[in-house]
Amino acid sequence: MRPVGLKQIYFSLLVAFMLYLLPWAGFGLLVRPDFVLLVLLFWMLRAPHLCNVGTAWTMGLLADLASGSLFGQYALTYAITAFVALSYQRRLVLFNDWQQAGYVFVLLVLTQITLLILKLFGGSGLPGWSYFLPSITGVLLWQVVVYSRVRVTGQKDH
Amino acid sequence: MASLQNQQPPAFFVRGPSPFARLSFFAAISLALMAVDARLHYLTEVRQGFTALLHPLEILAHGPSAAYDATRDFITRQSLLIEENNALHEKSLKQSADLQRFNAMQAENEHLRNLLKASKETPQPGKLAEIIHTSRDPFTRKVIVNIGTQQGITAGQAAIDEYGVIGQVTQVYPFSSEVTLITDKDLAIPIQIERNGLRAIAFGYGRDNTIDLPYLPMNVDIREGDKLVTSGIDGIYPSGLAVAKVTRIERNADSPFAHIVCTPTAGINNHRQILLLTMANVAPAPSESSKPAQPRNRHAPRRP
Repeated sequence: MRPVGLKQIYFSLLVAFMLYLLPWAGFGLLVRPDFVLLVLLFWMLRAPHLCNVGTAWTMGLLADLASGSLFGQYALTYAITAFVALSYQRRLVLFNDWQQAGYVFVLLVLTQITLLILKLFGGSGLPGWSYFLPSITGVLLWQVVVYSRVRVTGQKDH
Repeated sequence: MASLQNQQPPAFFVRGPSPFARLSFFAAISLALMAVDARLHYLTEVRQGFTALLHPLEILAHGPSAAYDATRDFITRQSLLIEENNALHEKSLKQSADLQRFNAMQAENEHLRNLLKASKETPQPGKLAEIIHTSRDPFTRKVIVNIGTQQGITAGQAAIDEYGVIGQVTQVYPFSSEVTLITDKDLAIPIQIERNGLRAIAFGYGRDNTIDLPYLPMNVDIREGDKLVTSGIDGIYPSGLAVAKVTRIERNADSPFAHIVCTPTAGINNHRQILLLTMANVAPAPSESSKPAQPRNRHAPRRP
């Protein structure tokens, strides 16, 4: 496995954030995967010594700023997801691709549920079931990345 | 392997604080931030500053779509333009007739107001704004427009389009501002039924692009097709702007209130340009104490 540099991580996070900032609307907004979280998860599972809860929290704070929501909502959500992702990170090398995808899907749904709870405390109404669509598109995007031979854990690198 | 000594120890053994310790630390900070932001509103300036820092990134991100729009505008078919031009001509002809009547009525109104010795109704200047994008938050109905505090926009201004009220400016940033649409769950707007002058407050429903008229009794005099206009009581929206049209009324025996569903008149999701009205120019109602003999106008806005 090639060593991962901090520059690489920050650059990919910046690209993900720019994707998030694109003017999404209508159907695109409905199915837009959480790019920032996916990139965060990728690096957390691959290089946990460089990308940790703090990185996730900072990116969450940026997402808060850009979305204009209550300060700290995304930050807390991303931090919690990062914690869960990191606590099972060691076991991930035993998983095959599909199990990894399942794991990522669980993490994405967990993020959305945490965010939903925080928003409900903040006084928002219940969104429809389509609220969970980004988790599905997110895991599809994850599989695309995995199939393009970018190994997450680096154990099975050819 | 000999060079391993002067290398860093493998990442496997570098742990730092445990993930749980980090989580507790950051969770505490974010909870504090949320509490301060939601309850104390200390962070508005901080937020404005950081949003201004993010502004260049946003411009960069909007580059591709802006280029696409520009290209599409450039290669619009001529027939399409002619068609649109004809339609606009026709519309302006229709409106010019109304406008002539409007001038006469305005003069008459001024005359009547002079008779009543009321202060003159000043026209409300507005600023044209362009919608940059819709809110990134799926829970809310908001749009972000391209002018902000630098152009003199303040929070609370009303936003309208050619057909009616769109919403209200709820947050301002240096170069952009956030307009909450009238279909958002948190936005209430004081309205009046055009037909009979009945006052009520309309709330956004949050879904399906509809507006709710809650807390009205079962026997309220509202029919399907009634037009709702702003009452002007709040001092934010000038009176008489179209807001919505009643589309459905449900009267259930098990509820003391009628369930009234309205659709907004303005093209809430269609337009790119909207007008932000300047506040604090609403003419006060004729003072009641100075003229006790005057019969009170039923439609005149009353101060709360």
